[in-house]
Amino acid sequence: MAKDHDKEQTLGEALRQQGVSRRGFLKFCAATASLMAMPPSMVPAIAKALDKARRPSVIYLSFQECTGCAESLTRSHSPTLESLMFNAISLDYQETLQAAAGTAAETALHDAMKENHGKYLVLVDGSIPLKDDGVYSTIAGKTNLQILKEAAEGAAAVVAVGTCSSFGGIPKANPNPTGAVSVSELMKSGHIATKPLINVSGCPPIPVVITGVLAHYLTFGEVPALDVHGRPKAFFGETIHDRCYRRPFYDQGKFAKTFDDEGARSGWCLYELGCKGPTTYNACATTKWNGGVSFPVESGHGCLGCSEPNFWDKGSFYAPLSTGHWGTAEGIAAAAAAGAAIGIGAAAMSRRHQDTIAKEE
Amino acid sequence: MDLLTFARGPALQWSVAIFFLGVLWRLFGVFLLRRKKDYSRPRSTHLWRGAIKGLIVHLWPYKEFRPKVVQNYILGYIFHIGLAIVVFFFVPHILFIKNIIGVGWGGLPNTFIYITGAVTVAALVAMLVKRISNPVTRLLSNFDDYFSWFVTIAPVVTGLMAVAHFGARYEHLLAIHILSFELLLVWFPFSKLMHTFFFVVSRGTTGALFERRGTSA
Amino acid sequence: MNDIDTEHPLDLESKRVSVKEPEKRYDMQGEMPDDKRVQTAMRGFVRDFGYIAATYMESCIHCGACAHACHFHEASGDPRHTPIWKLEPFKQAYKREAGPLAFFYKALNLKHKVTVEELQEWQELIYDTCTMCGRCTLICPMSIDIATLVGMARHGMFQAGLVPHELWAVAERAEREGSPLGATPKVFEDRIEWMGDEHEVEMHVNEDKADVLVTMSSIEIQKYPESMAAMAKVLNHMGLSWTFRTDGYEATNFGMLSGNSAWQKDMSMKMINAAIDCGAKLLILPECGHAYGALRWSGANMYGKPLPFEVKHISEFLAEGLQSGQIKVNRVERSVTYHDPCQVSRRGGATEAPRVVLDALGADLHEMEGAGLMNWCCGGGGGVLTIHRADDLRHKMFRIKMDQVEATGAEELLTACSNCRQNFDDNQEYHHWDKTAHSLLDLVADNLAE
Repeated sequence: MAKDHDKEQTLGEALRQQGVSRRGFLKFCAATASLMAMPPSMVPAIAKALDKARRPSVIYLSFQECTGCAESLTRSHSPTLESLMFNAISLDYQETLQAAAGTAAETALHDAMKENHGKYLVLVDGSIPLKDDGVYSTIAGKTNLQILKEAAEGAAAVVAVGTCSSFGGIPKANPNPTGAVSVSELMKSGHIATKPLINVSGCPPIPVVITGVLAHYLTFGEVPALDVHGRPKAFFGETIHDRCYRRPFYDQGKFAKTFDDEGARSGWCLYELGCKGPTTYNACATTKWNGGVSFPVESGHGCLGCSEPNFWDKGSFYAPLSTGHWGTAEGIAAAAAAGAAIGIGAAAMSRRHQDTIAKEE
Repeated sequence: MDLLTFARGPALQWSVAIFFLGVLWRLFGVFLLRRKKDYSRPRSTHLWRGAIKGLIVHLWPYKEFRPKVVQNYILGYIFHIGLAIVVFFFVPHILFIKNIIGVGWGGLPNTFIYITGAVTVAALVAMLVKRISNPVTRLLSNFDDYFSWFVTIAPVVTGLMAVAHFGARYEHLLAIHILSFELLLVWFPFSKLMHTFFFVVSRGTTGALFERRGTSA
Repeated sequence: MNDIDTEHPLDLESKRVSVKEPEKRYDMQGEMPDDKRVQTAMRGFVRDFGYIAATYMESCIHCGACAHACHFHEASGDPRHTPIWKLEPFKQAYKREAGPLAFFYKALNLKHKVTVEELQEWQELIYDTCTMCGRCTLICPMSIDIATLVGMARHGMFQAGLVPHELWAVAERAEREGSPLGATPKVFEDRIEWMGDEHEVEMHVNEDKADVLVTMSSIEIQKYPESMAAMAKVLNHMGLSWTFRTDGYEATNFGMLSGNSAWQKDMSMKMINAAIDCGAKLLILPECGHAYGALRWSGANMYGKPLPFEVKHISEFLAEGLQSGQIKVNRVERSVTYHDPCQVSRRGGATEAPRVVLDALGADLHEMEGAGLMNWCCGGGGGVLTIHRADDLRHKMFRIKMDQVEATGAEELLTACSNCRQNFDDNQEYHHWDKTAHSLLDLVADNLAE
């Protein structure tokens, strides 16, 4: 990957080396600022900081994942921001992208960790299995837990990329056969060292959300303002519903009832078709995907709630949010029968009581 | 398990079960008590007609009583009808019901629902004020009256709060709203809210009695 | 002479006949330890709950509307006089002992156990300030039949020895000697003879066979004996075969009013047996209110099966006779108004009859506001008139009636209940009013066209 002497380069120098003009660099800073909902007056500060920033070492660990998060990041259609970021950092370990394999790759990992101890960023995607001593996902003979434990030891901060590492994701879905857990759970239980953690959830997350978070970290050297789930408020502070362009139809009571009816074709609200927008926090409705082309609702499918914890276990994607996610009609019938029985018993007891009184008279 | 999943899941199952259990318990327990045969000669044998008349006549107070009670009737109707509109014509609620009984229907625009909800809350608050300030109702009222008021107004207030994103994260407000409804379900069979079922029998019985005796009502 | 006669002597001279005002009140009967008294009352309450009473107990939503239909509450402004509140110990007994949730109520003490002090306090609410007029049922959004429930509550109160002094005394007399007011069979016979002579009307007493059995109330026998003559005049005018029977004549039922079911049955059965014995096809009830409810609606249930004869209130009988032409009357050109006795009209269903009678008489009827179904109770029924302790409120609430009557502008006030009449008489004296209530029967009898 990066050569030793490159590590001495500042970010500004690296970008200039790649032919990014001052103007292009400032545009990048402005975009970063606006992404993080910061005022334009912050741009010079961002530019100054980034210019001088050292290219940080970034270790990208992939565990029980589908690689969708990495794909989302690298297959973006707007090369400017994302590839800029990738060039601005020193990505010292990334299984999909790196050329090395086998012991060479592992050596690179350990070298990077040793040389940048206490200063490197760990990016994690995929959940970590704990069941049966973690045998369900191992690399180079080591379980994911062991790898993460080692890496977290010397990390300056950890970014959980995607819902799997943020919350457990798909592997954690009922019945969770591998005992999958999230990075934050491991920190809370003491399995790994507790470090500043940013959860960038989403299945996958929006590319610019990742780069925006990294940019913030590089600029300010600290974790951005986080919500209760550890997600950056700048991107996860509002629900899809509150920013959805179809909201007026929700308010007017105009809902699509099937995926191809009049309402659907008129672009009406997808609440009845199971959209979880109201309880899903993400930037999809504003930032959108594929460089701002569209997002699921705009394409006619309800939000799955993929940036929320346990979104796979919250009932059908197609059941409206206001429906119960609950048990059985048989249970209700049993309760009703029990009630009737108790009532009959109570009436019988009351009658008997009356008979006793009458007899005593 | 987060609060919303709990509210939509096990809490809902249990509260609906307790509701059905309690309602049937109370209804069977009352209607299976002794019935006394009346051997007197009736003036009319069309008792069903009397029962229906009894149900209908009490929809509005008699002229002589209006000055004293019509205010309560009006407030009562406002909040009952307001509740009905909010419960049965807000689309998310309709979908909840449709999920249970398999049948849904068209809803009303949300703004109309929100205004109705606010009016319902106002009427309920007014009724509480009246209950507390009137010496008769102050004497009569017990925990059942006040708690039933609370579990009736709580879903409306928490629903409005959820819609307004007021006081907490939306998913928590939504969970609290659902839980407040579940509290209503659990409290319902053991409280005066059962008048929902009993009014039919009590009005009908008296109506039938009046018919039997020829009381012109 | 029974102790009762000396301990609770009658006062037949005052405007309302009752027991003389006691120097010392005995509002608790029998020697019983307090908890036994409470237990007896509760068991007495519980015994009566069928599904209808239970439904009513479950249906109250504490709206407080009933207070506004009750003349006692409207006169006193005391929230304790709210009709449904009068049933509070009764309701407690239901919830704790007979209702479907009784287990919870007892286990968690959700309704506390009634105390003897509370029962004593409630005696006034169940007896002194309730005439069981049933007006509250009309205002109740749930149509709870509070009047009937109060009647049921009185059963438990009687068994626990918690009946107001005077009411208990007259009820005891009635059971023992056949009349609450000293109108024993002997007195009855004597007064019949007296009326026959004075009004020159043929009386039939103790016939073996008759089509019509005529009953009277002790109030009439003792205070308005001319009613007996009036009855005779009308029936003779119609040429019917009728009789008084000294073995079954007392139409009042103080067993019912005091809450003693056994005595209620005894009192009703006397008349029923007399009617059966003489093969009567019709039993006429006199101008009395609760007598109508006692025999017309409860009599068959005392008997255990449908009665083998018809029962009519005198006002119904007169109306039918006038309509069929069997009774012919002269016209009376007078402006009148009519007070509906609660037990005959609202509770009994015979509202139209007096209007038919007045119409046939050609009287200029000015109906009171709320006449008929809605009529305000006179305030004296249900045994209230016998209780001296209840006089103050009874006099106070009577203003409602005076206002009602005055508003019609009518010259004369008529009614068909002698208890109402004596209440009007008593209040006329107290309030120095220029009007009182006169008998509808008398009016007809006085104007028969020969």
